[in-house]
Amino acid sequence: MRQLYSLLLLFSFLSFSFASSDYHEQLLLRPLHPSLLLASFNFQSNTTLTSFEQQNFRYFPRSLGQILQHANTRELHLRFSLGRWDAESWGARPWGGAREGGTGVELWAWVEADTDEEADGRWLTLTNALSGLFCASLNFIDSTRTTRPVMSFQPSGDHKNSTLESLHLLHGTLPREVVCTENLTPFLKLLPCKGKAGISSLLDGHKLFDASWQSMSIDVRPICPAGSNDCQLQITQTIDMVLDIQRSKRPRDNPIPRPVPNEELKCDTSKPYHSHDTCYPLDTAAQEEEWTLSQIFGHPLKGSCPLATDGVDPVCINVPHARQVYSSEGSHEHKDASGFMRCYQLDPEKEFELVLPQQEISEKAPLEQPLLYAERSFIGYGQERGGVQAILTNPSPTEAVDFVYMESLPWFMKLYLHTLKAKINGLDTHKDVIQEMYYRPALDRKRGTQLEVRILIPANSTVILTYDFEKAILRYTEYPPDANRGFDVAPAVITIGNVSIRTTSLLLPLPTPDFSMPYNVIILTSTVMALSFGFVFNLLVRRFVAVDEADQWDVRSVRLKVAELVKGKLKRFQKAQKVEKKE
Amino acid sequence: MPPSLPQFSAARARSYIFRLPLFTRCIIFVIVLFWLVSLQSAWDVQQWGALIPKEIGLATMYRTNTFPLVHAGFFHAFMNILALTPLLERFEAEYGTLTTLALFLGPLSTIPALLYTFAERAIGLNTTVLGASIWVFTLIAMEAVKTYRTNPNFVIGTTQIPTWITPIVMVLFVSFLIPHTSFLGHCCGLAFGYGWGLGYLKFLAPPEWILRWIEGKLNLLGRLPHYVSVDQKTYGRYGVLPTTNAPANPDIALRFTDQGQRPSTVLLRRNPFILKLPPYLSFLCIVIGVAWLLVLPLDNYSRRTYISENALLPGQVHTYFAGSDQNVFRGYKHEVDALEERSNIEVNDKLEEFFKASGLKVARQSYEYKSAGETYTGENIYAILHAPRGDATEAIVLVGAWRNMEGKLNRSGVALILTLARYFKRWSLWSKDIIFLVTADSKAGPQAWVDAYHDTHQSNKVESLPLKSGALQGAVVIDYPFDHRFQDIHIVYDGINGQLPNLDLLNTVVSISGHMGIGTSLQKMWQHSDSYRDRLQTMLRGMLNQGLGHASGPHSSFIPYHVDAITLQPFGEGWQDEMAMGRVIESTFRSLNNLLEHLHQSFFFYLLMQADRFVSIGTYLPSAMLVAVNFTIMAIFLWVKSGSPIDKSSKKGSLAVGKAGSLKALVPEEVISVRERELFLPLAVVAGSQFLGVLPLYIFNHTPQAMLSPIFTAFTSVNAFFPLIFSALLTHYFAPTAHHYTLIKTFSLLLLGLFLSSLATLNFSLAFLVGLLSAPLTYMQPLPNHPIIKGVLALLLSALSPTTVLVAGCWWWELGIGAVLKEAAFGWDVWGMTTQVVVWCVWWPAWLVGMVLLFGNPREEKVDGDVGKGKKIKT
Repeated sequence: MRQLYSLLLLFSFLSFSFASSDYHEQLLLRPLHPSLLLASFNFQSNTTLTSFEQQNFRYFPRSLGQILQHANTRELHLRFSLGRWDAESWGARPWGGAREGGTGVELWAWVEADTDEEADGRWLTLTNALSGLFCASLNFIDSTRTTRPVMSFQPSGDHKNSTLESLHLLHGTLPREVVCTENLTPFLKLLPCKGKAGISSLLDGHKLFDASWQSMSIDVRPICPAGSNDCQLQITQTIDMVLDIQRSKRPRDNPIPRPVPNEELKCDTSKPYHSHDTCYPLDTAAQEEEWTLSQIFGHPLKGSCPLATDGVDPVCINVPHARQVYSSEGSHEHKDASGFMRCYQLDPEKEFELVLPQQEISEKAPLEQPLLYAERSFIGYGQERGGVQAILTNPSPTEAVDFVYMESLPWFMKLYLHTLKAKINGLDTHKDVIQEMYYRPALDRKRGTQLEVRILIPANSTVILTYDFEKAILRYTEYPPDANRGFDVAPAVITIGNVSIRTTSLLLPLPTPDFSMPYNVIILTSTVMALSFGFVFNLLVRRFVAVDEADQWDVRSVRLKVAELVKGKLKRFQKAQKVEKKE
Repeated sequence: MPPSLPQFSAARARSYIFRLPLFTRCIIFVIVLFWLVSLQSAWDVQQWGALIPKEIGLATMYRTNTFPLVHAGFFHAFMNILALTPLLERFEAEYGTLTTLALFLGPLSTIPALLYTFAERAIGLNTTVLGASIWVFTLIAMEAVKTYRTNPNFVIGTTQIPTWITPIVMVLFVSFLIPHTSFLGHCCGLAFGYGWGLGYLKFLAPPEWILRWIEGKLNLLGRLPHYVSVDQKTYGRYGVLPTTNAPANPDIALRFTDQGQRPSTVLLRRNPFILKLPPYLSFLCIVIGVAWLLVLPLDNYSRRTYISENALLPGQVHTYFAGSDQNVFRGYKHEVDALEERSNIEVNDKLEEFFKASGLKVARQSYEYKSAGETYTGENIYAILHAPRGDATEAIVLVGAWRNMEGKLNRSGVALILTLARYFKRWSLWSKDIIFLVTADSKAGPQAWVDAYHDTHQSNKVESLPLKSGALQGAVVIDYPFDHRFQDIHIVYDGINGQLPNLDLLNTVVSISGHMGIGTSLQKMWQHSDSYRDRLQTMLRGMLNQGLGHASGPHSSFIPYHVDAITLQPFGEGWQDEMAMGRVIESTFRSLNNLLEHLHQSFFFYLLMQADRFVSIGTYLPSAMLVAVNFTIMAIFLWVKSGSPIDKSSKKGSLAVGKAGSLKALVPEEVISVRERELFLPLAVVAGSQFLGVLPLYIFNHTPQAMLSPIFTAFTSVNAFFPLIFSALLTHYFAPTAHHYTLIKTFSLLLLGLFLSSLATLNFSLAFLVGLLSAPLTYMQPLPNHPIIKGVLALLLSALSPTTVLVAGCWWWELGIGAVLKEAAFGWDVWGMTTQVVVWCVWWPAWLVGMVLLFGNPREEKVDGDVGKGKKIKT
């Protein structure tokens, strides 16, 4: 991981030094335990701010650029994520978690505006425009889902001090949004090679959305090198996915994992009961899986992208040098000094293929330990109250971790702040676990709860953060069609310097009315019964007056009344005419 | 002035019916007659009398008069009579019998009929109409116009709606809601009604002098009963009442109506017939309640089960759990067999190894419970299969207890779970996490795990779960303790405190195993011939299990947390192998995996009488409610009775002045006097016995196991004599009168009725069983002069006491008293079972009071002016 950082850093330096407008792309493959493969695609292009402002787009996508200009957005981060990163088996997250979001869609941006209201208006413009561009329900990020984080997010670009003051950070999440192919297609369209050539040709909806975990990100930020006035706008698009090698290798027309034939079953023959019909399955984790690029992605890589700058190898793989890797002709292999990385330079015309045969190998590329393990779940039961428990573990034996834990909860989850407690290693004696807190209470149907807590966890300890909440009862029109599924609660965001971690999202069951048919039927029939019964009953109990006391309603009287009415009208009309004449 | 709504009173209704005028009676009679005639098949009355537009000619003109009198069936006739009577009665009272006769036999039938005929012919239709509804609508329209004159509109919200619209709305509603009604026919009726009401058709009425002349000549008024004279109508039956002119003092008008009804209810209360009714009524309630339950298994009262949740799609997927996975299963089976004699920790070490080899995340949880002086410890192990693309929001659980409820090693079950875990891991279609849970035992282990999953455990004894997933959507337990092939699957579904899983879950499994050719059975009915007897037996066994409220399998602990769960137990000797069981589980999990929402569509309250037959709460609840209501009826009756003066004969003839504002009336004093009730002693006795119930509850839940049997014996013997002593003490120190005893019984029964009717909605079976066993308490009263009857009743009551029932139950099912009490204490401490509370704090106090009443010896009451004085009613 560290090597990757240094590599990337190197690339970015390179790009600053000799190109005002450039583009490069890279795919990093990293096998994970057990029989998984992490594929990280990175596409980065720069354009000068001046040409951006003159609407002179080359590598920077015009569609996105115009939206940013229209909404006065200076820095943008958009994430589409699916699945869960298993930190215990897979180690630290790619890019230090900086290029991923919580489940669903997450968007945060720095908008330039003079007032909060103006910022809100521009944010609305931005979300609606992006919603159209990416075929996502981003327009549903309304005031109840928007927060203004105070401690958690810092601008990653270089902004001028003058503009910094008028920048507003707005953050919104859609945990319910299911990321799928319709989001991938516009994503690929933003790339200079549009998925036709280069590493983006490997991206295919079938494979991407079959991944155990995947995250797509778009970051736009200004970069101003120190001491230079020549600022640049950088757009970075990444796709990270964890693919199950065995699952990907299954043919697409027969994806069912049928039982293997008896002969192919790998058994532990040392067991005394082993026979032709009894088998203790053998653990195959010791062996390195056999795979090829086209098996994993469905087809080989279609040459390199001709628009990409030379000097950056488009494909890298993070395996020990002892591992056998065969590549197709025309490509050049570069091995890294660290012993775990090798990169390939591609022939722009030819297809590129990587083949890793099955191999018994004890050496493995080192796994970077994450700074923090975070797990969040609901506690309690019932329709009225509940609780949230976040278990935060610092695995480091020596160093304490200082981080900001941010929750943005929907308004119908009414947080009791006084129940917020932090237990450290099961004891709640330590008062200094929570260092700082920012809390913005919810307003019904207007905005959600925002809670940011700065926590310090000493080395090798676990903090359990709990709080209770009350479930609001919604109006019946506010329930979605699948009301009994529950309501998604956005993941908590944990920021440790540049590294960020997101917990899984939660499913909150709310008290739901019975929406079923009998309800309607009873209401309708009761109304009808009440009406008809009331009518008959009314007739039965009414008191009556003698005829001579009531108004006469025979032909003559009606005629008289009509005549009177007409006369009255005529008179008024005449009067009005007189008045007019007087005037 | 707000409209005063006189309450319905039987006396008033009776007098109303007796005062119905002549023509109305005749019409009702004729309608009924025609209906009776139409019962025979020789002469088609409907065909003869109906209004058929195409058949109307000069010769068949009679149809325009007969069609309102002929009806299509009983309900048609009945409903029309019900609607017509008040309207017609009013019309007749207003216009006189002769006019009504003339109108209804003439223009009122013929004109709408002709109107209808022409309309139908104009459209080219030929729809037959019959029935008096046309009159109903005519009359309603007339009334509506009249109402419109006094009350032009009524207000809904802010809109003012003219009142004359109401008949039109009614016609629309009737035509929408009631099938086979003639919209056009009703409209014709309405048209005539409006015409009449507005005065355009008044000329149709015969001239008054003719009527007067006929009436005078024939002396109709003298000859005919209930005849409404032409002269009577001038003033109307009601006289001139202040409806349009607001009364000078609205207060008086209110009191006037108030005073008008009070004597009638008071009279009702003193009605000797009504006073005799309640004991029979409450007995009837019990009989009907029991009979109700007994008819439930019949085809007409129970329903076939069906899948409510469409997303489940049970049995629609192909299952692939077969082939070489069977070899793996056999391998795991050998491993499990080898672990039979090992300790809990050693077993879990090995299981952890198996789960980890399948690539799952494994965690353990140890627990310790103390109950009845015993300690229950163990360690659960569970593995989580992450949904490949999921986000830990939902999970389903596959449970296999290492030892089942009988303590047998769940050898095939655990091996199946290990094999399924390996097999499920290969699939990428899971939308929910799957948790494989192996608990150390079947009673405490699952409870500890579910409690900890929802973080409601006592943290010092039960460990928190180190690994969690999302909201649990369902749980399936495998209990497969033998290693031969099986025939059918036995499904256990009872939860703690009689809570049940959603019926959809059960239906899913029944449907899936049905697809696979595996039969299902319930409630240990190994043979079910679909006869009434077998259905009833299944239902009663289910009710008993529900009533006891104990855990019937590892799944029971899940249900209180609104996690639907069932246990599957293969049984019998057949040709289905373990893999077939695995395929049932696989298919069930595929169905649960399809769920988009938590199971909520189907029933949570039901009684099953077969795997595919059930009754829902709406059908069965009345039976327990009726049994509970019997106590309430009796309590109310006794309360009323306790308020009546002691000796009616001595006070007969004396009158009291009933005052209502400025109005006064003379009524017999006994009617309005109420006896002062002496409440302190009865309340103290009932409250005391209720509190005494806490004593056995505490004792039996906190005694060490070894002491349970002896203490129970001691309690039973004390219990046998305690009511006698209690009663003797009561008589000695307080000397209660019969009046006191009545009130004691009132409160006791009132409480019992209250508890049981609320309990019936939570645990129907328990409420029904307790209600039935305490039914004799309704009829207990002091019998100082009948020692033999008293003795017999005392024996009967003792036989129905909670302790005796417990002993009898243990004897019948061949269980040890100590074991049952230990289980109950375990239920109280671990499962949160509340059956004991009902037994000791609801049933036992009521029984105690019943016994005390039986042994009661009421003191002679002094009849003096003080007691009988009573209170005057103030209105």
